[in-house]
Amino acid sequence: MFYIHQTSCISPQQTFYNTAIDDLETPVNNRLHAVEPAYNDMPKNSLRRMGKTARIGIGAAMPLIKQVEGFNGIIIGTGNGGMEDSVIFLKEIIEYNEGLLTPGHFVQSTANALASQLSLASLNRGYNITHVHRGLAFEMAAIDTAMLLRENARNCYLLGGVDEISSYNYKLECLDGWYKKEDISSGGFYSSNTTGTVAGEGAVMLLVNNDKYNAVAKVVNISTLHTIVAMKMQQHLQQFLEQHINTNIDLLLSGENGDSRLLAYYANAENLLKNDIAVARFKHMCGEYPTSSAFALWLACKLISGVPLPAHMLKKGDSKTTYSNILIYNCHKGVQHSFMLVSKTE
Amino acid sequence: MEKTELKLLLKKQIIEFLNLTSLKPEDIKDDEPLFGDGLGLDSIDSLELIVLLQREYGIVIRDPKEGRKILVDVNTMVDYIEQNGTK
Repeated sequence: MFYIHQTSCISPQQTFYNTAIDDLETPVNNRLHAVEPAYNDMPKNSLRRMGKTARIGIGAAMPLIKQVEGFNGIIIGTGNGGMEDSVIFLKEIIEYNEGLLTPGHFVQSTANALASQLSLASLNRGYNITHVHRGLAFEMAAIDTAMLLRENARNCYLLGGVDEISSYNYKLECLDGWYKKEDISSGGFYSSNTTGTVAGEGAVMLLVNNDKYNAVAKVVNISTLHTIVAMKMQQHLQQFLEQHINTNIDLLLSGENGDSRLLAYYANAENLLKNDIAVARFKHMCGEYPTSSAFALWLACKLISGVPLPAHMLKKGDSKTTYSNILIYNCHKGVQHSFMLVSKTE
Repeated sequence: MEKTELKLLLKKQIIEFLNLTSLKPEDIKDDEPLFGDGLGLDSIDSLELIVLLQREYGIVIRDPKEGRKILVDVNTMVDYIEQNGTK
């Protein structure tokens, strides 16, 4: 599909300046907030107006923008966009009877605020789009990127997945039963045997093209599925694996999130793979959010390039020095499923 | 309200409306230009200040030329609020 050349990540773990994922940052009040850098490269006037999605998204993209001479487009996936500003803006509409609205919150409230501000920051006037397919937003952005690269083989794109925790959305999702009622800050993320999970957020930016020379990793295939039926998900994964029968998958990066209702899907994925394939989990690092699969892809790139797999991630099997073929399976709210196969470049 | 009190209130409101979280009211001088070399505000901030004047003081600025004379510094804003404020 495409090759990944540069990666950048702002997450609840120490992932921005260097990859220090052995020491785990734990949730506070069942929320894993992103560890934000100082943003020294960003204009102060723009920074103070930015919502968190724009701030962490641009913050993650800046090192990549500075490193490359140019790219041909910006493709972003976000489930919620700048939700905090959207809510403030909507409240103002009611409070001031649709009359007197401040421009700042309006500008920041749209889902495509990040991609447009990235365009301004990088002076890129190429393809600019934001995919908002909830739990598959990042996957749709990645598939869009692959299609663009099929048509424009020499191009290079900035691909990203970004979401924030907003207080409004957290309350709504709590009421809907998606976050745990009991505090699991001190542990028990996967062993609580209760419904719900921990909220998370983060921004991952990738520079991708068709050139395998010096690439960090290759995204070989991405497949998505909407279903609540565990059997259908299993059949879909079976077909996906049959397409790659000659690929020796050596790690399953599982999106298991401690929600007892979703365990059946993840168990199905594990059962379909050979017994000797190791299983690692990542949601205790980034929390649950619609584009958390972007964090998984960033992790896969790191593991493929030789960053040791931390013991806290490993669920089954032994850790290896390096990984060659990693399968990422993620399930969002028991409805949206994604499968990504990431390989080391030859 | 005393002029000094009004100035302090306005500075607090400017900080809140424009999200100038690194500043305290005492950091903003009464005669410091709001735009350009002073506080360094920009065109989007000018719209936020117009909304601030309308919401907090009932002042509607319709003529951009008039706005340029009012939004110079804290002194000019306070003078205008004292003369035209309805809240």
